[in-house]
Amino acid sequence: MKTLTNTTNVDGARANGRRQIVYELISGGTGLVLALFMWGHVILVGSILTGERGFNWMATMLEDYYIAQPTVAAIFTLFVIHAVFAARKIPAQLAERRRMIALAKGLDRAGREKVPSRRDNSPFVPHLESMLWIWQVRTGMVILVLGSFHLILLGVDVFTPLFGEHAGIESTTSMARVAAGLWLPYAILLLCVEFHASVGLYRLVVKWGSGFLPHRRYLHRIEQFIFWVVLGLGTITLLVLAGWMSPPLEFLLTDVAS
Amino acid sequence: MTSQLITTDVLVIGGGLAGERCAIEAAAAGQDAMILSLVPPRRSHSCAAQGGMQAALGNCVKAEGDSPDVHFQDTVRGSDWGADQEVARIFAEEAPIAVRELAHYGVPWTRVRGGKNKYFIKGESVEIDEALENDGLITHRDFGGTAKWRACYAAAGTGHAALYAVDSQVVRLGITVRDRVEAVSLVHDGRRCIGVVARCLRTGKHFCVLAKATVIATGGYGRIYGRYTTNATINYGTGAALALDTGIVPLGNMEAVQFHPTALSPSGILITEGCRGDGGYLLDRNLHRFMVNAEPEKQELASRDVVSRHMEQCIKDGNGVDSPNGSHLWLDIRHLGEKHLTTKLLEVFDICRDFAGINPAHDLIPVRPTQHYSMGGVRVNKDGEAYGLAGLYAVGEAACWDMHGFNRLGGNSLAETLVAGRVVGARVAEYASLTTLHANTEVAFAALAAAEARATTLLQREGTGRSVYEIRDALGEVMIGKVGIFRNGDDLKSAVEDIRALIDECSNVVLRHKGPGANPELAFALRLPGMLRLALTVAMGALARTESRGAHFRTDFPLRNDREWLSRTLARWQPDAGAPTLSYEPVGLLDLPPGHRGYGSDERIEMQATIGEYNDAVSAGQVGEGRLATFEPFGSRLRQSQGEAR
Amino acid sequence: MSDKETTAPRRLRFEIFRFNPEDPESEPHIDFFEINERPYMTLYMALNEIRETQDSGLQFDFACRSAICGSCGMLVNGRPALGCRTLTGDLPETIRLHPLPAFKLIGDLSVDTGTWFREMAERTEAWIHEQQPFDKDAQEERMSDDIAQAIYEGDRCIECGCCVASCGVANLKPDFLAAAGLNRVARFMMDPRDKRDDADWFEVVASEQGVFGCVGMMACADVCPKELPLLEVYAYLRRRTLGTKFLAD
Repeated sequence: MKTLTNTTNVDGARANGRRQIVYELISGGTGLVLALFMWGHVILVGSILTGERGFNWMATMLEDYYIAQPTVAAIFTLFVIHAVFAARKIPAQLAERRRMIALAKGLDRAGREKVPSRRDNSPFVPHLESMLWIWQVRTGMVILVLGSFHLILLGVDVFTPLFGEHAGIESTTSMARVAAGLWLPYAILLLCVEFHASVGLYRLVVKWGSGFLPHRRYLHRIEQFIFWVVLGLGTITLLVLAGWMSPPLEFLLTDVAS
Repeated sequence: MTSQLITTDVLVIGGGLAGERCAIEAAAAGQDAMILSLVPPRRSHSCAAQGGMQAALGNCVKAEGDSPDVHFQDTVRGSDWGADQEVARIFAEEAPIAVRELAHYGVPWTRVRGGKNKYFIKGESVEIDEALENDGLITHRDFGGTAKWRACYAAAGTGHAALYAVDSQVVRLGITVRDRVEAVSLVHDGRRCIGVVARCLRTGKHFCVLAKATVIATGGYGRIYGRYTTNATINYGTGAALALDTGIVPLGNMEAVQFHPTALSPSGILITEGCRGDGGYLLDRNLHRFMVNAEPEKQELASRDVVSRHMEQCIKDGNGVDSPNGSHLWLDIRHLGEKHLTTKLLEVFDICRDFAGINPAHDLIPVRPTQHYSMGGVRVNKDGEAYGLAGLYAVGEAACWDMHGFNRLGGNSLAETLVAGRVVGARVAEYASLTTLHANTEVAFAALAAAEARATTLLQREGTGRSVYEIRDALGEVMIGKVGIFRNGDDLKSAVEDIRALIDECSNVVLRHKGPGANPELAFALRLPGMLRLALTVAMGALARTESRGAHFRTDFPLRNDREWLSRTLARWQPDAGAPTLSYEPVGLLDLPPGHRGYGSDERIEMQATIGEYNDAVSAGQVGEGRLATFEPFGSRLRQSQGEAR
Repeated sequence: MSDKETTAPRRLRFEIFRFNPEDPESEPHIDFFEINERPYMTLYMALNEIRETQDSGLQFDFACRSAICGSCGMLVNGRPALGCRTLTGDLPETIRLHPLPAFKLIGDLSVDTGTWFREMAERTEAWIHEQQPFDKDAQEERMSDDIAQAIYEGDRCIECGCCVASCGVANLKPDFLAAAGLNRVARFMMDPRDKRDDADWFEVVASEQGVFGCVGMMACADVCPKELPLLEVYAYLRRRTLGTKFLAD
């Protein structure tokens, strides 16, 4: 407020304030879109659960109607923007990051010790969210690497016939790829993305909505529920893609075919 | 702390409400003000005032007909006629302004809700229709010893809200605040106080602050009662001890020590009188409301001295609740309901949960009377000037401005801090504007050297003496055991001997930690002699006063004696003397003639002189006290400012 | 009182951070102390016992010892808490005490919160900017009791610094206002007596030192001894900035 007396500073501070809002909205907004997309994405890839036919039908449909191609491009863009804007809050120095991690660990561990006499209303309850933030940064880093790889791979798939028989996503190439060893990075990516997305959404909702939304205790429970459901679906999908499990919902489409 | 010598216009020792309000007044008048404080000002003990601040606004139905005059009468009755009635009058008239000023500073006073409101009065649930035209005005709650509902409040954090609002003005005015600084002696030349020697509690270094006017606002001396006090650990009575050390400035009514009926047992943490004001009961071991029989008229809301005595008597009669930490009684506020407790008494709810592990909506609160307030302090006239030294002032609990006499009413202390801060602050500012800085560096450096020598001596002394903490604990036990709620000559004589023995021990005390820096043990060792001297002054004052008045109750002299003791005790400690010298002055002009308080005992020894005769004697008696002459004779109203240069 | 005093007394082991910047020979280190636990023992009692019987040079701050003055914030087993209201019974036998991070160290467990909060108050001009000068003869301005209660809720902050110490950002950026500062800002924003409008507040709130510095670790709300709704304060301020974004300069 000292700046109130100084006109040039006011302009600077005000412009900076506007910029900060825009940055905040961009990082939050892209995060929101990407998280929602990821849930949809897992469901779409989950079409493999109905067998290769279902998967291919879905892929072809999305490509024929030119949904897939722009989506891949858009998501890739959002992905990069989100990485740039969200990373602005990550401390640059290693020492700073270490300090934050130490703080978060302390907050997380206090109250975890077994104490027979602890009261019900003891303030010493483990604080989780600081550690969640640390893990969000870590998963973000992983996603940056593995996600970029995946997106480039998918870009090649969608736009070129380099892999498979034609330009577009095909179940055989995808499955062969996963079985051949990509299951490992994909499993890691799945875990990281689902964690990053659900925690990120939870944080976003608390940051903007506290006060007229349910208490964050409940929001956190909802977040955890969604996380586990999507992770479960994704894991089964990955197992099927790797060929270690037969598509559990294949009967749905075979019935129709016969 | 680079400089050994700092100068300012107005120096305030103590960053509580009274000191800060005083500094604001001085700074607003263009004086350069500086505050020295043991702790950051917002941590001062003023923040612990919970229930309310008395001011006769008369905004709610139960306050209808209230006026400063009724407030004045309540205050004098509460004081058991020990108060200076002129000061009480000034106070009652200024209190509404002080409350409104706080509203202006941002205190979120609880407001009148027009329409039906539910209250608990004398154990019954009552529904009262508050006038719609009063909606949004500052409302009141009931407190002990008042004819009307008068306490303005912000939940049970009134002191906190007031302190933050006042401190925000201190920040706004850019007043220099040096926190973690302790004043260790006054610098004076025998006629004039020119500043203090202070010790930095960060570095341990001594320095000198010279000022045109010095204001003592260090609060009460509750910690001489050891752990048997509701006071914060910082309430050593520093300012009173500094004044006593001059050998010139007298302390007034040091034996008038208030016990608060409801302190949490055993930790001694305060539970506000607002609990009883809002309809809480006191219960004995049989869950019987003993106050209904004891005080049919006021019940739980008699004055604090009266309620405390009934409670102690109840415990003495074997009706206390036994616990490993001694007997206690119950405070019952369950019937007020959880919603009331978590809004209007939120701080009480938190304290019960955190420190006793109970939920007051379902459980009884264990309480016991505990030392709470020091009516006595640096004796000042109605302008806040200390007797004997020019340029020395005192305000708030540290002062004996004497509107409280021998018993303070709940909520009057918070009001006093702000009223006195305003009134005395204006006088201080005026004085500072009319005088120049007497930078007598010779005196200052001598005082500085003496203070440093004291610290060095303590650090260098070797041996196996008792620790300062043991002496402190011993003092606390003596004070609560022998100078407590019920006093008698034998106990008090024994207390005087005990304290003198402790003073001797203290002069040989040996520190265990001799490291550089603030050294908390050294800091305590430096303040302990002052605490012991204050304790001796309390005990000797109590021994000499052979009557019972307000909080001072002698079982061997159970009656109030207006014939011989309608007077104020003054205590000076001559240099190198082993004990204080006591003298007496009349309480001041009598406006409300001595009579029955409306609660407590109606028996007393009546005064012989007529009011007129007494009042005539007042001026003569007080002039003889060596007080620095003010411009008009005692007994006039507050001066309308613009005095001559002195 | 609840009767949880049945368990056998424990021997508590304290690991306390020690450093006296005033002593050239002092190096930061950990000292160990052991004392017997007593029923309903708080860290206030425990630390005083250690100082009075074992190491009288130990520095720490207490004043009110009833959780209202905010002097005694410290890191208890990694979590910022008020020492006076922390019961040892809530803690394991080994109790690790460190000074609050993010504040300047005075010595051992004592930190300079006073200067931090005064600077914050000066930067945010945390006082009422009144509409009219005080008129001592006038009746008080009216205010609805609901608004008074809402302001009081924000005013309850005791400036203990626990939220600041628990905040990852405040630990790295000394000029971040943190939850305590923004709570104070919000308190004045909602006060009808204060004439500052959203545009006046904009640059304080909408900056890296204001709400947009927050990364959302949410520890502030969980460690607040007064259980202030700090996340609600942040969300409220974020939403308010949207309303002012397009205001003219």
